[in-house]
Amino acid sequence: MTTDVPGEMTPEQATALAGRIEAQLNQVLIGQPAITRQVMIALITGGHVLIEGVPGLGKTLLARSLARVLELDFQRIQFTPDLMPSDVTGHVLFDSQTGDFRVRKGPAFTNLLLADEINRAPAKTQAALLEVMQERRITIEGESFDLAPPFVVLATQNPLDQEGTYPLPEAELDRFLFKILIDYPSHEDEARMMEMVLDGRLPDSLDAAQLTPEANAEGILALGRQANAVILDRALVDYILRLVRATRDHPSLVQGGGPRASIALARTAKTQALLAGRDFVIPDDVKQVAAPVLRHRLRLGVDADIEGQTVESLLEQLLEQVEAPRQ
Amino acid sequence: MDLNRLNARLAPRSSWQAVDLGTRFYRRWWRQASLVWLVFTAVPFALLAGYAAATRSVWPLLLFWWLKPLWERPLLAFYSRALFDDYPGPLALLRAFPQYGLNGLAAQLTWRRFSPSRGFLTGVWQLEGTRGAQVSGRIAVMLRPPGQRAGTLTFTVLGLEHAMTVALVVLAMTLVPWQFNLEWSVWFQEQSHLQWGFVNLAWYLVLMVTEPLYVATSFALYLNQRTWLEGWDLQLGLTRIGERRRRAGGAALLVLLALCGAAPHPVEAQAPPPGQAESRLKSLLHQPCRSDFSRDNGTAHQADPKQQAIDLLASDTFMPFEERQDRRLRESLRDDDGDSWWQDLLRRLLDQEPDGGGRDPLHVPDGLITGLGYLLLALLLVVILMMVRRYLPGVGGRGPDGKPVMPVRVAGLDTRAESLPADLEQALDQELARGDVRAALALLLRDGLVTLFHYRPLPLTAGATEQDCLRAYQRELDGAPVIAWLSALINAWTRTAWAHRPSDEQAVRELMARWRALRPPLAGGPR
Repeated sequence: MTTDVPGEMTPEQATALAGRIEAQLNQVLIGQPAITRQVMIALITGGHVLIEGVPGLGKTLLARSLARVLELDFQRIQFTPDLMPSDVTGHVLFDSQTGDFRVRKGPAFTNLLLADEINRAPAKTQAALLEVMQERRITIEGESFDLAPPFVVLATQNPLDQEGTYPLPEAELDRFLFKILIDYPSHEDEARMMEMVLDGRLPDSLDAAQLTPEANAEGILALGRQANAVILDRALVDYILRLVRATRDHPSLVQGGGPRASIALARTAKTQALLAGRDFVIPDDVKQVAAPVLRHRLRLGVDADIEGQTVESLLEQLLEQVEAPRQ
Repeated sequence: MDLNRLNARLAPRSSWQAVDLGTRFYRRWWRQASLVWLVFTAVPFALLAGYAAATRSVWPLLLFWWLKPLWERPLLAFYSRALFDDYPGPLALLRAFPQYGLNGLAAQLTWRRFSPSRGFLTGVWQLEGTRGAQVSGRIAVMLRPPGQRAGTLTFTVLGLEHAMTVALVVLAMTLVPWQFNLEWSVWFQEQSHLQWGFVNLAWYLVLMVTEPLYVATSFALYLNQRTWLEGWDLQLGLTRIGERRRRAGGAALLVLLALCGAAPHPVEAQAPPPGQAESRLKSLLHQPCRSDFSRDNGTAHQADPKQQAIDLLASDTFMPFEERQDRRLRESLRDDDGDSWWQDLLRRLLDQEPDGGGRDPLHVPDGLITGLGYLLLALLLVVILMMVRRYLPGVGGRGPDGKPVMPVRVAGLDTRAESLPADLEQALDQELARGDVRAALALLLRDGLVTLFHYRPLPLTAGATEQDCLRAYQRELDGAPVIAWLSALINAWTRTAWAHRPSDEQAVRELMARWRALRPPLAGGPR
């Protein structure tokens, strides 16, 4: 059953709708509420997500569930070393019956695209997808096709088993709004999951069919418009800039966040505020989205790497050191 | 024993030549020396390294490293006897340890532990048996040129030890099959017990080479220094000549004996009885240097023959008197006393040594190397202190007493106690009278945070937001009435500050009224 979602909604309605969607997702992705929240923020903001985690943590299930709950078109591509750009975007075929050339659209023509193990494909294929992500338009044999909004790519990477992979270049990583690290669920959550599977309350195979749709593409776009309307004080804009600029000046980082990072931080902080039930951003919203927005845009220096520092630990330091915004 | 059986030819050498002699000692006796090292150190090392691997702690190995002067004593005892073709076994050395190993050990393990001349000076205690107040004077004599090369030797062997350890570990790592997935970064961050144990073992294997080498070269430097100071080479050489002459007989012997007595170092003009030559040299090795034995000190010990020789040398027939005059520029006659302290220091550091170092194209001033060594040590200590400060929990953001320090700003608000008005209520009324609700709430929040921090100091940072403060105090004072008040205040504040929707005046006055009741017990001080 699809809930009727009006074209425009009040902030309270928007928060309630987002809460319902999150609750549905948390039913299948047990013990990962932070992950579902971050994916929701990216989806509403209209950004792409890079998810890093070992296999078996429910990345595909999350994408399928999102498609089901939001009644979005969903496609999945398993990236392999022999994947060609045309396997992603589509190509032209000669139709012998009509005697004419016909465009065969690739899996990128969708709302929600799961690019599984994106770093397994060569750079040329990665670049084709990343171009689509940026332009939201596909050109095949000179003919351009606009992708219907929303268009969100959920790309996954495996942090282990790096042999034979093609790491994404920094410039291309910057096109992802979020990089989300998905980790194992806690002991209690995993025990709860096991009990649910053993009791038959949860199927042990990937199955999002039990979920009920809560919104559609128009609903997601309406949520995005509501997020845009959230108040962002000037002092918070200044705070975001100080935070991002601090990453550029940090001695342990050879690459800091660019202007795209500042914009992403502001937009996602607004969505985070909306999901928290507010129509204004507070400094905590910025701090909450800082790690997923910035972690893939920063590059650690060799010295810091040898010293055992990580981007995460440096971000924590920065969030403690950069003075909270002043009113 | 005749002197030809001596294992080394005594001669005044340059420091580098003496070190070279030491390496020859090591190459000749490396098996026995390594065995001595193993017997004395294998068990203590196994115990300490086992404990270190189990706990992944560096302290046990630091202890083993600190005890190096102790482990080096049996090696020196071995070399000093092997020089006379006497090769004591490890067990004999173990039994005799109280006789040779204890004198001066406490000093070497405490305030003299960082002496760069450690190996060189061990002989002062162990071989000469010098004790008490005489030690400092004796060390000062021993460190005269060319003896101060010992520091260079110590730092060189230390560098060799570390380079060999790293090389051995790297070599082993390159031989580990790739399936073990050994990464350099992982290696330095998370070592398993096995890796920890392996690194320790590599270090021990390297020590098995470098320590006997270090003791041998230091011993050779020590022998060389005493040869320079006491003229052992002359004594032994003249003794040999004396023996030959005694066998040859004749009047020439008398003249030679007279000349022997005139040598700067008094020697026994009469040849020692057969079989006593070895004990003579041993006694030389094991006796302290007395000033009347010094090459530089001409005080007569056996007055008559020496005086005769001096008279002979001073006579016109032996050394004709000649008077010469030459002219020099006034500048060249200026005394060095006019130099500034840094010029003095530079001269001391870069001065050429009298052992021929100045002619050596590879000459590196010894003072410079010793200075660099100490500089590296100081840098290491600074780095360790910085790491301790960085990694010890709770050190950052805390005062000298270990208590958290309130940042100047928290949540963007000035939280210095002196920035708050003396009469909070009056100041609040003034702000409300002006219609500035935001300023009134800010005042209340600042006073609330400062008072709470005074009551219960928590490690807040400059980046802490209002919600961070609330969460921190919720964890600390969960259920306390002040937490409900702070939550309400922060709610009102965030709506006013970030949503630009000021609370009404009445709500602010209610918050002030609640604070009036809550504040006195909190302002009373920490609990």
